[in-house]
Amino acid sequence: MKPVFLIKRFLFLILVIWSAATITFFIPRLSPRNPIRERFVELARMGGFSPADLEQIVASYSQRFGLDKPLYQQYFDYMSAVFRFDFGVSLNKFPKTTVELIMEALPWTIGLLLATTIIAFVLGNLLGAVAAWPKAPNWLRATATPFVLLMGVPPVIMGVLLLFFIGFRLKLLPLGGAYSIGTVPTFTLEFVLDAARHQILPALALILGSVGGWVLSMRGMGVTIQGEDYVTFAEHKGLGPFTIFRDYYLRNALLPQATGLVLALGAVVTNGIVVESIFGLPGVGRVLDQAIRSNDFIVIYGIVLFITIAVATLMVAVELLYPLLDPRIKLD
Amino acid sequence: MATVTAVPQPQFRQPGRARLLIGYLRRNLSLLIGLVMLAGLVLFTLIGLLTIDPKDAYPLSVPTRRPPSLEYPFGTDFFGRDLYAAMVVGLWQTALIGVLAGAIGTFIGTVLGFVSAYFGGWVDNTIKGICQILTPIPVLLIQIVIAGSLDKRYVTIYTMALIVVLLAWMGPTLVIRSQVLSMKERQFVAVAKLSGVSEWEIIFKEILPNLLPFIAAAFVAQVFSAMIASFYLAVLGLGPLREPLLGNIIWAAQSQGAFFNGWWWWPIIPSVAIVLILGSLALINMGLDELANPRVRRTE
Amino acid sequence: MTRLKLLTALVACILVLAACGGAPPAAAPTTAPEPTQASQAPEATAAPAEPAATATAAPISTGPLAEVPRNRTLILGWSITSPIGVTNPWAVPGYTHQEGNVFMWEPLMYYGIFSDQYIPWLAESMEYTNDDFTALEIKLNPAARWSDGEPVTSEDVVYTFEGQMTNDKLPYHASFDQFVESVEAVDDLTVNVTFKIPAPRFKFEVLTLKFDTGIPIVPEHALSAQPDVNAYPGGTEIPHSGPYKLVAWDANQKIYDLRPDWWAVEAGVSPKPEVERIVIFNIGGQVGQNMDTVVQRLVNNEFDSILDVRSSVAANILANNPAVTTHTGNNPPYGYLDWWPNSLWVNTQLEPYSDPNVRKAISLAIDRDTIDEIIYEGAQITTIFPFPLYPGLQAFVDTPEVQALIQEYNPREFNPEKSAELMTAAGFTQNGDGLWEKDGATVNMTIHGFEGIHSDIVPVLVEMLRNAGFDASINFGTDAYQNMADGKPGAYMFGHGASLLDPYAAFELFHSRYSAAVGTSAGNNRFSRYNNPEYDAILDQMAPLSAEDPRFQELAVQALEIYWRDQIDIPIIQWLHRIPYNQTYWTNWPTADNLAGGTNGAFWAHTGLIVVTQLKATQ
Repeated sequence: MKPVFLIKRFLFLILVIWSAATITFFIPRLSPRNPIRERFVELARMGGFSPADLEQIVASYSQRFGLDKPLYQQYFDYMSAVFRFDFGVSLNKFPKTTVELIMEALPWTIGLLLATTIIAFVLGNLLGAVAAWPKAPNWLRATATPFVLLMGVPPVIMGVLLLFFIGFRLKLLPLGGAYSIGTVPTFTLEFVLDAARHQILPALALILGSVGGWVLSMRGMGVTIQGEDYVTFAEHKGLGPFTIFRDYYLRNALLPQATGLVLALGAVVTNGIVVESIFGLPGVGRVLDQAIRSNDFIVIYGIVLFITIAVATLMVAVELLYPLLDPRIKLD
Repeated sequence: MATVTAVPQPQFRQPGRARLLIGYLRRNLSLLIGLVMLAGLVLFTLIGLLTIDPKDAYPLSVPTRRPPSLEYPFGTDFFGRDLYAAMVVGLWQTALIGVLAGAIGTFIGTVLGFVSAYFGGWVDNTIKGICQILTPIPVLLIQIVIAGSLDKRYVTIYTMALIVVLLAWMGPTLVIRSQVLSMKERQFVAVAKLSGVSEWEIIFKEILPNLLPFIAAAFVAQVFSAMIASFYLAVLGLGPLREPLLGNIIWAAQSQGAFFNGWWWWPIIPSVAIVLILGSLALINMGLDELANPRVRRTE
Repeated sequence: MTRLKLLTALVACILVLAACGGAPPAAAPTTAPEPTQASQAPEATAAPAEPAATATAAPISTGPLAEVPRNRTLILGWSITSPIGVTNPWAVPGYTHQEGNVFMWEPLMYYGIFSDQYIPWLAESMEYTNDDFTALEIKLNPAARWSDGEPVTSEDVVYTFEGQMTNDKLPYHASFDQFVESVEAVDDLTVNVTFKIPAPRFKFEVLTLKFDTGIPIVPEHALSAQPDVNAYPGGTEIPHSGPYKLVAWDANQKIYDLRPDWWAVEAGVSPKPEVERIVIFNIGGQVGQNMDTVVQRLVNNEFDSILDVRSSVAANILANNPAVTTHTGNNPPYGYLDWWPNSLWVNTQLEPYSDPNVRKAISLAIDRDTIDEIIYEGAQITTIFPFPLYPGLQAFVDTPEVQALIQEYNPREFNPEKSAELMTAAGFTQNGDGLWEKDGATVNMTIHGFEGIHSDIVPVLVEMLRNAGFDASINFGTDAYQNMADGKPGAYMFGHGASLLDPYAAFELFHSRYSAAVGTSAGNNRFSRYNNPEYDAILDQMAPLSAEDPRFQELAVQALEIYWRDQIDIPIIQWLHRIPYNQTYWTNWPTADNLAGGTNGAFWAHTGLIVVTQLKATQ
């Protein structure tokens, strides 16, 4: 691949980060609210103390956060911090930094999203290919239908319904949390099994609604491939139906589907966040949920930036990997 | 000179438009089902609006906490809303937000996509670049923050639609742009150009009509995502809380412990409604996709 | 097929890639007992004049947890929002007693609201030594010890009091400043307090812990070594006198373990606690959110108690788990009266709320009977008073003078026509939407409140106000409290945490001393910014008088008359704590039939320690 291409992609990344950072810089500054003050008034209420010197505390904090400097200076400081991967210090969990909060929560989120995305992607593509494959038995083709219907169910509803029927009514699985109350995370089999049991419902909430999308796009592609001459040719060549299914249907759809996966990452993360808050999992979603509820704008925007950078990086990474998936593609 | 004799025209019986449409719909099942579902919802709302007192969709109107019955087919909630009335008004409001945001988003997208593709060059690069750069940003989170920082007196159905559309016009822009690009290269445009048709005529007479299916598909997709976004905002309690928006009702049910208290109908009915409305839109979108991309048309 | 494998691997890489940055696996403070994070963060503790409480950079723990069986563990559900690691009562802002820190800190005395008596604790006695309430003698319990073995002495008490006098960041600085002349240690166990002016309520309001007020005693030898006491988080290492020691705190939970060497058992002050471990599980959100699953987990015996619940929820919990009980057993209203009756407050310095007629019109628009019927299933929860009707206050309300006032002002009246008349008289006209309008502006009745605790009542109030022509809407945003403190337009749903024994403290909330000008922030419960010299004069006469004084009663009636005449705020509901007590593992919760420690059952309130130490294991 040519260096010009790499540079272009790198510039793209920089531009994405810059524009996201610009948005997150200006929105809180356009709002008439003062989150720092809000937080301290709230702390004052909890501690029951009189906020006589509150304005002083707020002023001193505003200074710490550099909010007393001229706007262009703040903007410059903010940008340079962002490109150093420093998303600021949490208002609510001071003196923890946003990056610390994200890193603590990230393993839970990655665990859940990695597993559910892979399962949904693999299952959806297999079912979609089967649905488009004329040789598949009818019952197998029919298995795709319910997943397509479930597409219309937003994960937030799915989560609540699962919780209600499986957790409340049938009492089969835990009602929330990442592990049992009173245990502390350890690397023992017992703990891992306990944690896994707590992940089943959130995982289902994420998988059930997202398989359908893969089924549809894969089926669409399968139908297209069906009419192609090379498939007819392969059939006449006497290749077994399974070989055709594998080498023609799946393989040809791989690239567009991988692209689709990257484009879907934003939605995957958003849904993950919603489901995490419903089930009280200690992932990034919970950090975000708490930040939203306490108007900790530094953490909120830190997470927005983090997700933006992660998704954009992955988009570029996949683009760079295209030639591995399809030798016909050259990057230039 | 040969004489020209009138040859009787062969009698082709052109099938009626309606028959064609029905025939097509029978092949495009998802479009058919989606349209039927949507028509059902519209009918429900229309009949509903004629039969209910909109006041009943608001608190303190009817006896509280009644399960579904003949008098209150969807039951009543903790605050004394008739959920039937609330569904009628709420569906209408939820749809209004979606259609409004969808229309604005699609309009912006169509204009930008058109401009971008038609003029090319730096204009195209700028518009395309901005869209691509904004795509990885988690829009919903930013919408949540904006909705949360508004003065609650200004959070209405209309501001909801505006918040939702604020960062959601990039999709249609990119779709329309790529379609215009491919059309520009097609023969009929080239022919029109050669025969001296003006640019505006080409845009409005040649390209735009051919784009309509794509605009329609983009519109439906946009309505779909606008509804999901506004639904999320409402479920989080960031909408106009007094209005019976579907998301608001679920939010209210959740915060009163409806499931635990056995008032299952309160959260379930708006959930079913949102699933129906989103499902119908997803199916229509899929159907329009088949219409717009004939290669995806089903073979059966 | 290799492509497929490659793709799968790719997907895996993609998602792992997002994790790069080397996040350690979530909070595994396991293998070896490490020094706590708090002591490793000198930059956080040493920074001078750090105005806020500093927390540690990571979840804290004192090492691997000891094994404690479920039947010796008490699991409480609560929303933990304070910064991790803050256990020092002087860390401000940031410290709160509500999230388990009550189990670490002790006062001179507690007050048992249901036994209606003082409960001597670190102090054996605390008496006014003259008739005009200007001198107080405190005698400490000689057995009292800090967790590091040091005795609790008069030096600690003097340090605590003088800290409040000199350190203006501390919660009771204003009270100490107003009343206390000097504090003196007579010997190791005796402290004399001299007051500037008669202070008949100081012993109760400030030196005694009850509900959410009063001060605990802090260790002089630990805090005086700190460069900035307000910035020192405390963590797990701060010496404390209470029986429970913080052993772990992360985003999900706080764990406290019993100290076997707690002084109070041997001293005969407390029975030996049977609860060996307290887990405060973070149910997330704000208090009162996610209740569906939280109550179900209580029914499933995962929790032993949770924060207070709605009336209908309480009834269903009882129906679903017979082992659960409430303050009133299986009978409504399932709870006890809290000291936090809620009003709709308005900023009385701001148009149009500055007009008493407008405030009166708002009150006339509220149908308190319907509120009782819809939200509280017929229980009489609505109120017309700014204080809870505990015995002393009920006696005050029952006097013929107060009854005559009720006859005269009829503060419970619901009368939309009369409300409309008052609004018309105040110069308002009804606009096209049926809303009152004057000079083009409607009456902004955005009700600021808290989603977790107000999402049942506020929507109903909004509807009632709208029906009467007030432009009402709901704000449950994170700025709600700030708007109250800042006196923003709208109404504030908030309580009066003030009076318990006599009405003085509640009336004092409206003293013009607190009526800060618009643009400055008002203290907790001082949102009305009411300013009336006539009222102040009455309050100033009441201040030095004890509640038994007949003159005090007379003045209290006058103050109440002004409260209703001017409709300083619009009283709405009494506040009930409906706390489910799960008796599967623990009994002897304080209820109407079982006095237990004589306190109310809120484990988050200052008297939570007494609730917990009185519990009896069932197995």
